[in-house]
Parts: sequence; C-alpha cells; structure tokens
Amino acid sequence: MRKTSFMRPIAAAAALLAAGAAAAEDKPESLNLGVFTFMSGGPAAYGMPGRQGAEVMIDMINAEGGVAGVPVSATYVDEAQGAEGVISEYRRLSEDPAYGFMIAALSSGNCLALAPIADQLNMPTIGWNCDTHQLYLGNDYQFFYRPNGNTIAEFMAYALYFLDKNPDVSRVAIINPDYSFGHDAAEIVKATLKAVKPEVEIVAELFPKLGSSTFQTEISRLSAARPDVIFSNMWGGDLENFIRQAAPRGLFRTSVGVFALGESALQSVDVPEGSIVGVLGDGYWMSPDAQEIGLAAPFAEAYRAKFDADPVFPSVKMANAFLVMKAAYEKAIADNNVEWPSKEQLAAAMEGMSTTTMTGEMTFREDNDGVVDQLVGTVAKVDGKLVMTDMARYDGETMLPPLGEDPIAWIGSLTPEFLAAMPKPGSYE
Amino acid sequence: MLQTLIPLFVDALANAALIFFVAVGLTLVFSVLRILNVAHGSLYSIGAYVAASVGLWIVAAGLPAWLTFPALVLSAAFTALLFGPVIERTLIRWTYGKSEAVQVLVTFGLFLILEDLQRMVFGVQSIYADTPMALLGISEIGGIVYLNYQLALIGLAVAVLIGLRLFIRRSRTGKLLAAVVADREVSQAMGIDTNKMFMIAFTLGVLLAALGGAMATPTTGVAPGLGADTMVLAFAVAAIGGLGQVEGAAVASVIVAVAKVLAIYYAPALDAVAPYLVMLAVLLVRPYGLFGAGATRRI
Repeated sequence: MRKTSFMRPIAAAAALLAAGAAAAEDKPESLNLGVFTFMSGGPAAYGMPGRQGAEVMIDMINAEGGVAGVPVSATYVDEAQGAEGVISEYRRLSEDPAYGFMIAALSSGNCLALAPIADQLNMPTIGWNCDTHQLYLGNDYQFFYRPNGNTIAEFMAYALYFLDKNPDVSRVAIINPDYSFGHDAAEIVKATLKAVKPEVEIVAELFPKLGSSTFQTEISRLSAARPDVIFSNMWGGDLENFIRQAAPRGLFRTSVGVFALGESALQSVDVPEGSIVGVLGDGYWMSPDAQEIGLAAPFAEAYRAKFDADPVFPSVKMANAFLVMKAAYEKAIADNNVEWPSKEQLAAAMEGMSTTTMTGEMTFREDNDGVVDQLVGTVAKVDGKLVMTDMARYDGETMLPPLGEDPIAWIGSLTPEFLAAMPKPGSYE
Repeated sequence: MLQTLIPLFVDALANAALIFFVAVGLTLVFSVLRILNVAHGSLYSIGAYVAASVGLWIVAAGLPAWLTFPALVLSAAFTALLFGPVIERTLIRWTYGKSEAVQVLVTFGLFLILEDLQRMVFGVQSIYADTPMALLGISEIGGIVYLNYQLALIGLAVAVLIGLRLFIRRSRTGKLLAAVVADREVSQAMGIDTNKMFMIAFTLGVLLAALGGAMATPTTGVAPGLGADTMVLAFAVAAIGGLGQVEGAAVASVIVAVAKVLAIYYAPALDAVAPYLVMLAVLLVRPYGLFGAGATRRI
C-alpha cells in the first residue's frame, strides 16, 4: 500500500524515536544489577551459594576495573517470597533507571514469569539457573537469555550415564519435587530410558511437596520397591534432608542414588560414595576444562577466602552468568562503537553470542537458550573430600533437540545406538 | 500380603505420632479457651528450633551425646514456660468473649510475628540435629529398615495420650479444667479461678506443640515455613476428630496418617490432598467431627 503524505512525518518521527531509544547511553557511575536467588528457607541451601558466587564475582570484576571501567554493584532479591513478590521486585528494579541489567532467576517458575516482563520493560536479563525446557517452547523473547542449557540435555545426561555405569539396571525409582521441574525431569528420564533401554521398569514415582521436612514414608516406599537406581532432582534443603534421612535407613546400600543436583550438597551432607551426581551443565570448578581455562582457580580461591568453603555449582553457574553479562557489555560496546550500550544494543549483542566461561564454551542458540556441555560423575572421597570422579562430559549440542522440534518426541526418536555413541564414565578425567 | 501391610502400618503410626502431638495441643486449647489458635504451628516450630539448637550445642560442646534426649523434652518445657503464660496473659486474654473473627485475626497476627521472630533469632537456613536418631539405631520390620527413634515416638505419643487422660481425670487441676470445659460460668460461680485455668491450659497446649516440634527434629530438617505446614495438617486432624476432643485428635491423627501413607504407596499424585479429602468426607457426614457434638445455641 502506498503511504499517504501525512503518514510520512509520523513514520519519520517513529523512526527517530526508535533510534533514540536504541541509542547509546552515557557511561553510568555504577552498573547496578538485580540478582535474584533463594536466600531463606530450605532452597537457600542451593540459593545462597549462588549469591555468594555473585559477591565474589563482583569483587573480582571491580578489582579489575569493573565492566568497561564501570564498577558493578548488586541488589539481592529473595525468591522465597513467592512469584508475586519476585515479579513486583523485578518490576520495581527494572523501572528504576539506575538499574541496567538483571540476573534472574533461580527458580524455573520465576523465569517463566519474568521472561515476558523482561520484554515488556526492555530489560536485558540472564536466567542464571532456571532450567525448564518450557521457557523457550513457542516463545520468542528478545531480552531474556539463559546461558545454561535446559532440562532436556541435563536429565538425559543422567539417564545415559547411569545406564552406562550400571549396564544391568532393570528397576528405576524416581523421587522428584512436586512442581514442573520435578515432573519435567521424570518425563525426560522415562522418555530416555524408553528410547535407549526400553526393558527398564519404573518401579516407583514419587513427588513429595517442595520444602517437605520429612521423607520417611517415601523412604519406606522406595525401600519396598527395591530399585537398582533411585533418580532424584531434589535440591537445596530437600536434597540434604532426603539424603540425611535415607542414608541411615540403608536405602543407598541396595540402590544407587542419582542426585542430579548432588554436587551442590557434597560439602554439607555425607552423600554416599558411589552416588551419581552432576552440575546441570558444565559448572564444576575442578573439571579439566575449568583447570585449562584458568578462571575457576582464582575464583575458588577468592570464594574460599570469603566464605571458608569451596564453590559448589550454583556458585559457578552464577559466576558464569556474570562472565556472560560482562562479555555481552563488551560485545555491545564493540559492535556499536559506543562508550556504553543501550539496553536494546545489549540485548542485540547477546543474539548468537559465544563466550568462554569459567568451565567451558557457551553459545546462545537462535531461541536465546545457551548451549553448554553436561558433566556427570560419581561421588568418591579424595583427600578427605567428597568430589566427582569417573566423569563423562556430554556435548551440549548433541543433547539438545533441533530448534522447533518437540523435545519429548525428539527423545523418543533416539535409539540404543545413541547411548552406544556417548562418551563413557571415566572418559573425562 | 502381610509383608506389604506391615510397612504401611508402621509408617502410618510413625506419621500419626508426629501429627498427634501438635493436633492434641490445638484441640486442648480450643476445648478450654474456645479459641482456635492459628499461631499454634509457630509454637511447634519454635520448639523444633530450640531443641535443634540445644542439641547442636551439646554436640559442639563435647558433652555426652545421650544428653540430647532430655534436651528435647527440656527444650519443649522451656518454650512452653517462656511463651505460654506471656501470650495468654497479654494477647489471648484480650480476645475472650470476642467474636471468632477477632480471635482468628489476633492469633494470625501472632503467627506472623512469631514467624518473623524465628527468622531473626534462628536465621533462615535449615538446621539439622539428628544425634538422638543416630544413637538409637535401626530395626528391620517387614523387610524395611526403620529408625528406632521413629518407633520410640509411637510409644511416646501413646504415653502422652494416656498421661493427658490421667491428668484430666485424676489430678485436681485436670478436674478443674474439665469443669471449666463443661461450664465456664458455673465453674466461676463455684470459685474456680478460670483465668488461672486458661493460662494452664494454654501453656499445656504450647508444651504439646513444642514437644511435637522438638521430637520431630532428629528425623527432619528445621527451616522457616515448618510451622505453617504443620498447622494446616493439625487443623485437618482437629476437624476430623472434633474440636476439643483429645481422643478424637488421637484417632484422627491415625486416620490422616493412614490416608497420607496409602496415597504415597498407591497414588502418589494424591499425597498432598489425601488428608483434606478425608477431612471433607468426614465433615460431610459428621459436621462436628467424629467425636464432636453439636453445640446448643443459647438465646
């Protein structure tokens, strides 16, 4: 359709406004971030190491002169207040011109809620931990990026690892928290088993409430089911509680525990040796890649000095989120040849961005989901410390369905040959 | 068959024991004071926090580990003596004779205050103090390993039920409490110090809640939010048994526990709602609970 004459000035004004909105900004005195994590209740056992990772990274970045010369500071928001409070805090911070970037959130539910708001408010945001594969299914976000990979790759990796580690496994039990993260993981593990080893039987499938203080009846039920393997993606206080309550009752003498988020509990609870644990991605600070890259050791040293503990993978995930954010600022500045990028330039810079994190390579796919490798291992005591041994590192790209494909249907299309082609436990040392 | 039923039975009783402590305290307070104390769950979690903190201190101080057993009971008693009289004399007493809505609002306000108080005093991280559990060891029943501590709790719950019954029926204070329950005005006319009875009943209710929390600590983690979860379950038990009925609380605890355990074993998706489905079914048939009786309305 041909434009009428009075439309031209309107179109020109709109273009000018759009250009103005995307224009570079003056360099601020401080880069203020909103950092969202769980800081109270049972989930804080997982969320606080994330916050501590953020504190260490801010110290380290500022010691090196900040992001493009601008010092970084953070306001921490407790996700334990519930989704409504989290959304309200996110809006409050995003609408404050003093804030330039959000690192939110830990919970998948909160990321699902915040992603559309990030687009509404044009706020560049990194989902530092949330893993749900539902996040980008049918959604096209411009401002919300997740440098993590997702639940498909993560939980497939565990199923493949324990099948390789225990080839005779025939009975599997699942105990996951009763919300989307737990149910999604169960579906992914079951779909993977059905595809690559269909003879495996699921003998119990339990979904206790997130934040339960006791799992004694569930432990009895699992004992009665006599599984070879017990898979769980419980986390934080739930995971610690479950292991503390199940171990004295001998559950792990007869069944191998597969704790998807188990590395985060290695310092706080006596995870039975021989259990299979991982880091939901590649964020293990002692992995060979991390040692080769060389960023993890100084981070761990600073973390130990500040908190008297080794960093666990939530700390490393948070640290990697900061590295991605820093890389995004540097790329946006270089791409646009400006002193300080606008929020639009920042979001655009993250499109398809690749960067080296503390523990490996991360590339954003077209849907803004990060591709990272998956690391799984077996718990053993080395020099008096519980660590991951006998590790396998699964290629991130191989473990994700092609863009636009239904993830569960894609897993269903896999064959036992897929398992045979995977790296074996112990191949990554 | 028996092999399958025995674990169900043991799990149900172990669950019932923990639920009973808190539910019986709630129902006792209601029977004497005619107040539904929404803050009862917070007193359960304060009991748990105090017991866990004392237990951890005993271990850290290198004292004999067996001291953690008396510490559980003493922590509950300390909590009851610290909070019971103070709360009753200040907040609860003010609500006597007021409408149920005022009473619920006041105790709900108290619940919020106590929840924040716990965060200020004990922090926001989970606490674990499992020494008593480790000391008692394990037993195998029906092919399933149980903690002897779980089995001991069943015995303790039965002992508390019998003790409570004996206290109410045989002791002078118990008989005075029963008289106040039967008719508050006549009791007052006959010279019974009802204010004192209210304070004793409320403190006893706090003791039972705190004892429940303290006894739960060796097999559970203590974290913010524990009180609210427990309270909702205690309400269901009190409603099923009939508000104000001690034996009703005991039977309802077993019913709720059986429903929960059956759900976990055979229909895990219903685990969270099973107790409330049972409550709904009971209230549809008996609106005043299994042991409750309809109140005559005075005009």
